[in-house]
Amino acid sequence: MELATQLVTYGVLMGCIFAFISLGLSLIFGVMNIVNFAHGEFLMVGMYVAFLISSYLPLDPLVSLPFAAGLGFILGVISYRLLITHILRGPMVAQLFGTFGLMLFLRYLVMFIFGPDVRTLSHGVLVGKTISLGWISLDASKVMAAGLCVLFFVFVYWMINRTKLGRALRATSLDAEAARYMGIDTEKMNALAWGIGGATVGVAGGLLAHFYYVTPTIGMVFILIAFATVALGGFGSISGAFLAGIIIGLIQVLGGHYLSELKFTFIYIAYFLTVVLRPRGLFGW
Amino acid sequence: MRTRCSTISIVFLVLVVVTMALMASPAKAAPPKEIKIGVILPLSGPLAPTGKALREGVELCADIVNKKHPDLKISIAQWEGIPNLGGAKIKLIFADHRGDPGWGADQAKRLIRDEKVVGLTGCYNSSVTKTASVEAERAGIPFVNGESTSPALTKRGFKWFWRVTPHETWFTADLFNFLDGLTKGKARGVKAIAKGQIDKLAVATENTEWGAAALAAIQEFAAKHGYEIVEWFKYPHTAADLTSEARRMMASGANTYLFASYLADSILFIKTLKELGASPTLIWGQDAGFVEADFGKTLGAAVNGILTRDLFSPELGKVKPVAMQLNKIYKQRAGYDFSGSSARDFVGLQVWAHALNNAKSTDPKAIAKALNALHISSEELIMPWKGVRFGSPFPGDTQQNELGSGVINQLQGFPGGKYQVVYPFEFATADMVYPFGGWK
Repeated sequence: MELATQLVTYGVLMGCIFAFISLGLSLIFGVMNIVNFAHGEFLMVGMYVAFLISSYLPLDPLVSLPFAAGLGFILGVISYRLLITHILRGPMVAQLFGTFGLMLFLRYLVMFIFGPDVRTLSHGVLVGKTISLGWISLDASKVMAAGLCVLFFVFVYWMINRTKLGRALRATSLDAEAARYMGIDTEKMNALAWGIGGATVGVAGGLLAHFYYVTPTIGMVFILIAFATVALGGFGSISGAFLAGIIIGLIQVLGGHYLSELKFTFIYIAYFLTVVLRPRGLFGW
Repeated sequence: MRTRCSTISIVFLVLVVVTMALMASPAKAAPPKEIKIGVILPLSGPLAPTGKALREGVELCADIVNKKHPDLKISIAQWEGIPNLGGAKIKLIFADHRGDPGWGADQAKRLIRDEKVVGLTGCYNSSVTKTASVEAERAGIPFVNGESTSPALTKRGFKWFWRVTPHETWFTADLFNFLDGLTKGKARGVKAIAKGQIDKLAVATENTEWGAAALAAIQEFAAKHGYEIVEWFKYPHTAADLTSEARRMMASGANTYLFASYLADSILFIKTLKELGASPTLIWGQDAGFVEADFGKTLGAAVNGILTRDLFSPELGKVKPVAMQLNKIYKQRAGYDFSGSSARDFVGLQVWAHALNNAKSTDPKAIAKALNALHISSEELIMPWKGVRFGSPFPGDTQQNELGSGVINQLQGFPGGKYQVVYPFEFATADMVYPFGGWK
């Protein structure tokens, strides 16, 4: 019982973090039908913002979250304006290679500036702190990340489903041409989707840096899990991304406990089964 | 008259030929002014920084052989060339193998055929050493390897291949000799401990060929030395989270945690174990991530007390003055300390110099004979070894240095701390911190 509680708790916590990382990816795909391969690098940029603010100013890394969100938003909008609007005119393969190129550009730009070194945050109110709940010892920063993840999901879900802006975003995603006829500035909506996607993953990066190492290639570790999460939850589905994140968190913690060597395999089996049995995912649009 | 002229002409011709032959023969017997040794290293591509450090190690050794260094208390520093070859200087001919076994073999062929090298050394990557040494074997040219650690290299029965460094099997044997030594009170600053404090092992190795081989070696030696592996698993080193694996080690009741991990996963494991409040008696890492500068820099005080397999530490200078002297010279030239690999490459060329001197010839057979009879004492070496002597230390090994040893370092005083040698016990540079005791 003790073991099961621990594993489920760790799984849910990690699942929230995976879901948080996947939120922006799901949103961008939902609105524009485009796969952003550079999403992991947006995450990496958020992590570097936290690292730089905590190391050089030096302020608590929690202070970095609004900056990570702001930079993520700007990065998303600039990527859309300078790259995505152009490659959208090309064939599907150009879209794929376009964001792949953006991924390489960001990764090696950061490597050029900061070097390939691995870094971690050395101070912060939550860094290295643990919370003991009975027999479970939890990293305080993971708990914080999971809590903020839930808040962000609730906010984005509310915005998409309950606000005029959200309705405009959904209209753009369902039929961009019809939305334009209805007076919606679809270009603005697309840029906004990229901006919100960048901002959410930026915050996720800022939180992840509290308990994870920071390096220019860190995006690689998380991007495949993010793709599996989005596919499992349903492309473009906010609630689906959340549920899928939790499922994948549980799969990888339980897999890691019982058959560590195959922990990724279990995740990709879940992804494969979803694609085969329910191609639009659990809650796909 | 014509016959007499012909006779005189023939006599004259014979005299010319004999004179030329006489003039030529002393030159043939005279020792060469320089002796070419081919050095094959990864000098471009991702391993270029490593290759540069190795090249500097070999070049330093050649300089010490070729020019007198009265301050250094090792024999090659007093030589000014190879004494028994008339003071002939060692000339290094470098070749870049780019990390490609095929290209490495081509370079070995080129050095033997075109550069007419007396012998070869290199190549760092075991895979390249494997192919390049095949070319040396075909040509009947000695190949002295300083730093490749795949056990298979000296299990091929080659007649023209000698290895100076200990190999991977050795490093795992070192771990268990070290654990046994702890129970006998051999570690500096630690009284004999009960075996029950360290006899239950939890082993986590990443799941590529390297990790799998490390796990197999640990399983083999644990059984031989009477240690119980209570938990073991392989894991993907690119895992985003290792919480369940860390928890599994803690739940196993193991008192000693062993890892074969790269940098990112070793950092993740230590962070997670700290977060979960693990308190093993010992933590040991198999080189790789545990010896990278970023490991200590990133984790700071959390690494204090962790043990890692290594080959060299600049701290060895405390107990081996020659290591301190040579590391100082190396650092002045290169800008950084000797690493385990560059220090071993220095010794690799040192072995070449001794072999040439003992052979008194550049004839391959004479050099091979000299290598097989070679014995260099520990005092001559910068490595913490008992010396160099080729034999068969493990079943199947041939022409493998049997006096070598790995090093077990303990991370102490981080952040900004050092890797202190705790094994071999006779070369310990600081008191060992025992037990590890966790991160309270």
